[in-house]
Amino acid sequence: MKKIAFSLLMVAVLLLTACGAKTASGGPVQLSFMMWGDPAELTVWNQIVKDFEAANPNITVSVEVSDWDSYWTKLKTLLAAKTPPDMFAIDAPLYLDYQSKGVLLNLQPYLDKNPGMLDGLYPQTLQAYQTPQGYFGLPRDFQTIVLFYNKTMFDKAGMAYPTADWTWDDLRAAAKKLTLTGSDGKTTQYGFSFDMWDMEPGYSEAIWSYGGSILNADHTKTLLGEPAARQAWQLLYDMTFVDKSVPDSTASGQYGGDTFLAGVSAMTPLGHWVVPGYADAKLNFDAAPMPKGPAGRFTSVNSAGFVIAKGSKHPAQAFTFLQFVLSTAGQTRLAELGFACPVLKSIAESPTFLNQKIAINQQVFLDSLQYANIKPVFKGYDEWASAVGDGMAPVWSGEADLNKTLDEVVVAADAVLAKNK
Amino acid sequence: MEFGIKPLGRERFWLWILLVPTLFGLVFSAFGSLLATIALSFAHWDLLGSPAWAGVENYIALFTDAKFLKSLANTAVFSVMYVPGVVIISLLVAVLLNRKLRGIGVFRTAFYLPAVTSAVATALVWNMIYGKDTGILNYVLELFHLAPVCWLCTSHAMLSVVIVNIWGAIGEGMIIFLAGLTAIPNEYYEAATVDGAGGLRKFFQITLPLITPSIFFQVLLSTINAFQAYDYIYMLTRQGQGDSNIPVVVFSIYRNAWNFGNYGGASAQAIELTVIVAVLMLLYFWLEKRFVFYE
Repeated sequence: MKKIAFSLLMVAVLLLTACGAKTASGGPVQLSFMMWGDPAELTVWNQIVKDFEAANPNITVSVEVSDWDSYWTKLKTLLAAKTPPDMFAIDAPLYLDYQSKGVLLNLQPYLDKNPGMLDGLYPQTLQAYQTPQGYFGLPRDFQTIVLFYNKTMFDKAGMAYPTADWTWDDLRAAAKKLTLTGSDGKTTQYGFSFDMWDMEPGYSEAIWSYGGSILNADHTKTLLGEPAARQAWQLLYDMTFVDKSVPDSTASGQYGGDTFLAGVSAMTPLGHWVVPGYADAKLNFDAAPMPKGPAGRFTSVNSAGFVIAKGSKHPAQAFTFLQFVLSTAGQTRLAELGFACPVLKSIAESPTFLNQKIAINQQVFLDSLQYANIKPVFKGYDEWASAVGDGMAPVWSGEADLNKTLDEVVVAADAVLAKNK
Repeated sequence: MEFGIKPLGRERFWLWILLVPTLFGLVFSAFGSLLATIALSFAHWDLLGSPAWAGVENYIALFTDAKFLKSLANTAVFSVMYVPGVVIISLLVAVLLNRKLRGIGVFRTAFYLPAVTSAVATALVWNMIYGKDTGILNYVLELFHLAPVCWLCTSHAMLSVVIVNIWGAIGEGMIIFLAGLTAIPNEYYEAATVDGAGGLRKFFQITLPLITPSIFFQVLLSTINAFQAYDYIYMLTRQGQGDSNIPVVVFSIYRNAWNFGNYGGASAQAIELTVIVAVLMLLYFWLEKRFVFYE
C-alpha cells in the first residue's frame, strides 16, 4: 500500500514539476538516460558518457541506474507524467508493449539518414526491434544462453568437461553422477540447476531441442503443452524429482536462488551477465555450448536495447548518443564491462571481448548465435510469463502434477494472449 | 469525552496557520490520490497512453476475475488468523511484561524490535528459519523425529506468513496494551487480593474488562493492517515471475497496476478494499457501543 501511495505521490510531484520545466533552444543540450543495472555498470556508462561528451562538447548526458524492479516502476511513472528521460533502456521482450503504446520515437528517419549504421551488428540482435514501421529501438548488447560448469566439481568426480557433442541425455547422465549426498541422506551437491520460472535460461532451450515451440508464429496460442514440449518438460521434471540431480524450487530458495553461484550445483544454463558475479565468488568455472536434443541444438538469444522517448525535446542529439554507443568506442567499453556480449561484430570478435580478464571460453557465447532462437517478443509478455512461470511453480516445488498443471497453465496463458491481441 | 483546551480569538488564527502544512499534505497527497483512484477505477489506463472510459467494467471484473477473487479469499483467511493472533498474543506479552523486574526494559525492547526493523531484512531471516533442508524450524522438528515441513510451499505458506506478520506486530500491540494496563488503578488488585482472588481471577475479572478500550483499538488497527499486509508476503512468497503463491488483495493491486498495465482494474480493487475496511470499521464501532467498557 505504501508503495502504491508513494507511486501516486510521485505522479503528483512530477506533474507539478513538469509545469516548471523550460524548453531549451540552441546552445548546450542536456540529455537524460535511464537504465537498469548495478553500480558497476553505472561506472562504465559514465565512462562512455565521458568519451561521448569529449566528442560532442555541446551535449551532456546524465545516466541514472536503478535495480530491475524499481526501474520499470519509475519509468512508467515518468512516462505517465509525460516527463520521460530522453533515452532509456529496454528489454527486447517488453519492447512491443511500449512501442505499441506510442511512447517511443520512430528511429527510421534517423537511420535512413545514416545508411550502413547497422551493417556491423549481429542481425539476430536487430530482429527483435524491427516493426512494420521501422525501428523504434536498437540493441546495445546481447545475451546467449550457454552451459556453465564448475570445473572443480568435474575434476573431483574425475569426469570430462561438457563438450559440443553432448546431448540432453549426456547432460542428464552427467548430472546424476555429479549429485552427491551427505551421510544424513541430504543432497550436498546437485548436478544441474536451472531457472524454472523463466523460459530464457530454463525451459525454452530444452523445448526447442525436442522439436517443440513456445508460441505459434502470430503469438495467439501457447504451445507449451504440445507433445514435443511435454517431452522436454518431462526430462526436466524427471531430473528434478526422479534423479534428484536438480534442486527443486524449495531447495534452491535456500541458497538465494542460484545454486551454481552458491557452489552447490555443477552445471547451469545462463547468460553472460552472471560471469562477473561467478568470478567474484571465486568459482572455477567455464562455459560450453548447450546440449543437443532429438531435433538439434538450440539456445536462446535476447538483447537489451535502448530507445528514445517520443516526448524527447532533443531527439537528434539523443540519436547521436545511440550512435556513439553502437560505435567501436562505445562497444569496446561495454565489452570491457563483461556483463554482456557486444552487438558490434567487429568488437565481439576482437581480443577486447574474447580475451577478457575473466578467462573463460568467450567464443562459445558468439558461436551460440548460429543455433539461437530469439526469445519471443510479443504484447502482454509480463503477464504471460507470470501465467506460465508462476503457474508452473507448484510443479517445481513438488506439490503439483506436471501434466495437469501444464494443461491449466496453457489455458491461462492463452487467456492473456487473447486479452493482449 | 472532550480533550484539551478550546482555542480562543487570535489563537484560532495561529491554529490554522500551523495546521496548513499538514492539511496541504493531506489534500494533495492523500485526498488527491484517493480522488484520482476513484476516477481511474472507471477507466482503462496502462500509464503510457491516455485513460479511456471503461464505465463499470473494472467493477464487474471484481466479481469475475478469478485471480482477484482468489486474492480476496486469501486476504480474508489471512485476517481471520492474523487479527485474533495479534490481539491475544500481544495482550499476553503485555501482561507478562507489566511488572517491576530487573531488566524488564530489555524484554520490552526485544519484543518491540521487529516493529523497527526493516521488513526486507527480517523476511530474509525468516526465509532461513523456514528453509526446507537447512531451516532452523525443520531442524527442531527433526530433533523430535517429526517429518520436515515445506513451510513456504503453497500448502503451508499462509500459516507461515501469518506467523511472521503476527511476530512483527506483537511489539506495537504490546505498547498499546501496556499503556492500558498501567492505567488500571492498583487499588482494584489490592482489594481483590484482600478478598482472596487468584491471579487468573484478577485477570478475567479486573484486567480484561478494564482493558477493553485498548483491545477495541488494537482489533481495529490489526484489521486495517491485515487488509494492507504486503511486505512480508511479498518477500517470503514471491515467485520467479513476480506472483505470490498466496497473493493477497494488495499484492493483486500492485501486480495489476505496475506489472500488467491495468491501472483501472487495480484502482477498482483498491476501492473495494477500502469499502470492505470501512464496512468492518462501522461494524466495529457498533460493537464498541455494546462491549467496550469506558471507566
